[in-house]
Amino acid sequence: MKFLRSLFSASTLLSVSIGAVLNSGCTTVVIDEYRRSNGELAAGDTVVILGRRHSSEYETEPDLIDCVGQTLHNPKAGVNVIPEQQFVDALYPWFEPRTAPMHIKSLSKLMDVPDVRDRMEKYGVKYIVWIDGNTETTSSAGSIGCSIGTAGAGCFGFGTWDKESDYEASVWDFRDQELSGKISADAQGTSYMPAIVVPIPLIARVQNNACKGMAAQLQEFLLPPQSASR
Amino acid sequence: MNRLSKGLGAVKTTAILIFAGLLTACAHTVSVDGQFPTPVGNQHPLTVGIYLSEDFRQFTYSENRDDRDEWNINTGRAQKNLFETVLGSMFKETVNLAQYPSNLPQGIDLVIVPEVRELQFTMPRETRVNIFEVWIKYDMHAYNQQGDSVAEWVITAYGKTPTAFLKSQEAALAQAINVALRDAGATLYTGFERVPELQAFLASRQRALTMKRTDADIQ
Repeated sequence: MKFLRSLFSASTLLSVSIGAVLNSGCTTVVIDEYRRSNGELAAGDTVVILGRRHSSEYETEPDLIDCVGQTLHNPKAGVNVIPEQQFVDALYPWFEPRTAPMHIKSLSKLMDVPDVRDRMEKYGVKYIVWIDGNTETTSSAGSIGCSIGTAGAGCFGFGTWDKESDYEASVWDFRDQELSGKISADAQGTSYMPAIVVPIPLIARVQNNACKGMAAQLQEFLLPPQSASR
Repeated sequence: MNRLSKGLGAVKTTAILIFAGLLTACAHTVSVDGQFPTPVGNQHPLTVGIYLSEDFRQFTYSENRDDRDEWNINTGRAQKNLFETVLGSMFKETVNLAQYPSNLPQGIDLVIVPEVRELQFTMPRETRVNIFEVWIKYDMHAYNQQGDSVAEWVITAYGKTPTAFLKSQEAALAQAINVALRDAGATLYTGFERVPELQAFLASRQRALTMKRTDADIQ
């Protein structure tokens, strides 16, 4: 009984420590903003969040785009986001990696196709947000060894790895055909994996924190000043 | 003696089974049967026959090299869906031809026949980048009603997908192929008018239509 109690208190202590480490935030996020005009989202207007996929070395992760879109989507606050895949399919083949407009000038050329313009207007697109960048593991250290014996199985060791996110969002005003501004999000974090019998991952949610930081900044950016302050 | 030969037989059978198991463990089969969205844009004023050969509709790329696992990649159904969808929305009217060049229906301005020239792929462990990549090259042929060649052009398609979001190599490769096929559709759709011979053909067709309309207005 005593053993069980001490085991219970040890596991409680362990979970509290894990919670503390997770909550203390092993990630730092830096958000930068360059604004050329104020947000003008009105009722019925929509926002499209798209990932840049033209680079051969990396691609902006679809789950990051989903995360920003879902975090930003808030009809009560006046922000309606069209899911990336739905928009790209509806405007096939004009927003594929090879055909997507790289500059605002190419967007105005695309609007010369009447069917494309009609569909964009039907969707009520006011802003197109292009996110470029990715999250990568920059370094790792340590090692964990696991073994199975007659007495049982277990692991021992310590591993650590660093992750870095670097994203830039370009906000295009579709109706005024101009660049409204840019938001950059840099996040860094270190994850730990101590293993005493069982490996316990303490993951730094670098990409997730970059997503939340960027979505919060975008909401402030896209809404008119009086709505944003509400 | 009998028992010994029976034992040897069992060992032999087990060895064959293990060997066969190892062989099949290294063989990967991928079947891509993607659905593709209908392109948005202008239609060319042509009636076009689409001939997708049996080889094209059942295209399977097989690779069995010493430095790689065995791969069998079937893209036939997906590329049939893609070409029928994209070509179907590019022209005023399209006819799917079951055979070519015999029994060609009347009123067809062009017959388009695609062929797969090449398919290549790389795995993350080969490039040391966490990305599956696929390249597909198509030879495109366009013939007139008489069966004469109007144009020949090449479509290259590229698709990639990061490993992080997918569970197996097969699923990742299928995803990369779908991206490549979408890219092929985009290139076909946006590049058709840029082929000089087709540009000339479309211009002459447009002139003929304009003259026909003018004649009708005069009468």
